[in-house]
Amino acid sequence: MDFRPLNDTERRQLIGALRGNAESNLAILMDRRTTTFAGTTEEITDDEVITAIRSVPCHY
Amino acid sequence: MFQGLTGHARRLLRSMRRSLLGDGRAAGPTCLPHLPQPLKRLSRVVLTDEVDRTLFREYASHRMSARGAEEIGWVLLGIREGDHGLVLATLPAGAQRNAGVAHVEFNSSAQALGSRIVRQRDKRLTTLGVVHTHPGSLRHPSDGDFEGDSAWVSNLRGGEGIFGIGTADGPEGNGVLIGRQPQAHIQAFGRLLLSWYALAEGDRQYRPLNVELTLGPDLALGLHDVWRTVEAFAEPLERLCRQQAAVTFDIVPGSQGAAFAVCMKLAEPDTALRIIVESGEAAFYWQRGQEMFAIDVPAGPLDRSVYLALAELAEKA
Repeated sequence: MDFRPLNDTERRQLIGALRGNAESNLAILMDRRTTTFAGTTEEITDDEVITAIRSVPCHY
Repeated sequence: MFQGLTGHARRLLRSMRRSLLGDGRAAGPTCLPHLPQPLKRLSRVVLTDEVDRTLFREYASHRMSARGAEEIGWVLLGIREGDHGLVLATLPAGAQRNAGVAHVEFNSSAQALGSRIVRQRDKRLTTLGVVHTHPGSLRHPSDGDFEGDSAWVSNLRGGEGIFGIGTADGPEGNGVLIGRQPQAHIQAFGRLLLSWYALAEGDRQYRPLNVELTLGPDLALGLHDVWRTVEAFAEPLERLCRQQAAVTFDIVPGSQGAAFAVCMKLAEPDTALRIIVESGEAAFYWQRGQEMFAIDVPAGPLDRSVYLALAELAEKA
């Protein structure tokens, strides 16, 4: 298990996730192998964004 | 294969560190809003001041260029929450766009890679919509736009998109150039206008969308300086990103302005394969701690060269 301190970005993300969980009932994601913080459901996959970008229609 | 440590490589490494520490453009932490709100129908679009400046500046610059009579555009990335979309990045149509006086089709390969690079910093960033220009005075999306957009919005969060229309039919100024907002959904800067609309799945027409400004960055602005390079290498780099999880990107100072840097961490601690792409050429480096070694790889598609370099490094490990 890695017990290193969180860096600023990780700390900010974790605080945001905890606040979202407490105030808006948002899920907090956990790494299934290490039980470490793995983000929130706010995060959007690359595939979702790229699919939208690649399907932008021609504009007139 | 290894040509040895060079002063150039050391300078490059220092430059990359400076870039990673951030000059406010391409890298560095950004404090974005944390608390998501449930999605409602869009009632406004919020642009950061830098995004707005990018749109007006690049629109003006495009009109002065050799292809100035053509339509131009940008994909908008940002955060969709509550009743609004917060636009935080602009992805250019690109020099390889297909465009004419009455249409524009973006170079989506470069924009896809651009989205990966911008989203390294925040995975909440999503596609919010599109801005494109009209050559005349039609300050509203056309029927042809509606045909494509009405199907496309189903790909967006909330099933709704933000659409900006640029026109150059504003009144002549007579003094200091200052942005105005003649209507809640229209911004004016000199003769250039941006008119904002929303369209949701099932809508029969676009509706005007109030536009607001807030202080903030265009998270893709640093990329605009190297967009031709992004376009030139988009396909092989996109393939590489799909095949390898630990590919990261930076904008670093190059010998002729900004350069584009690709980093792949290697299995051994503190080692990485770094590729600096500048002026259509890629230079490969093996980084071990503070040291950088130039690597010679045969010319060819970038992703092929990466795998040849990795194979060579694996043989030496």
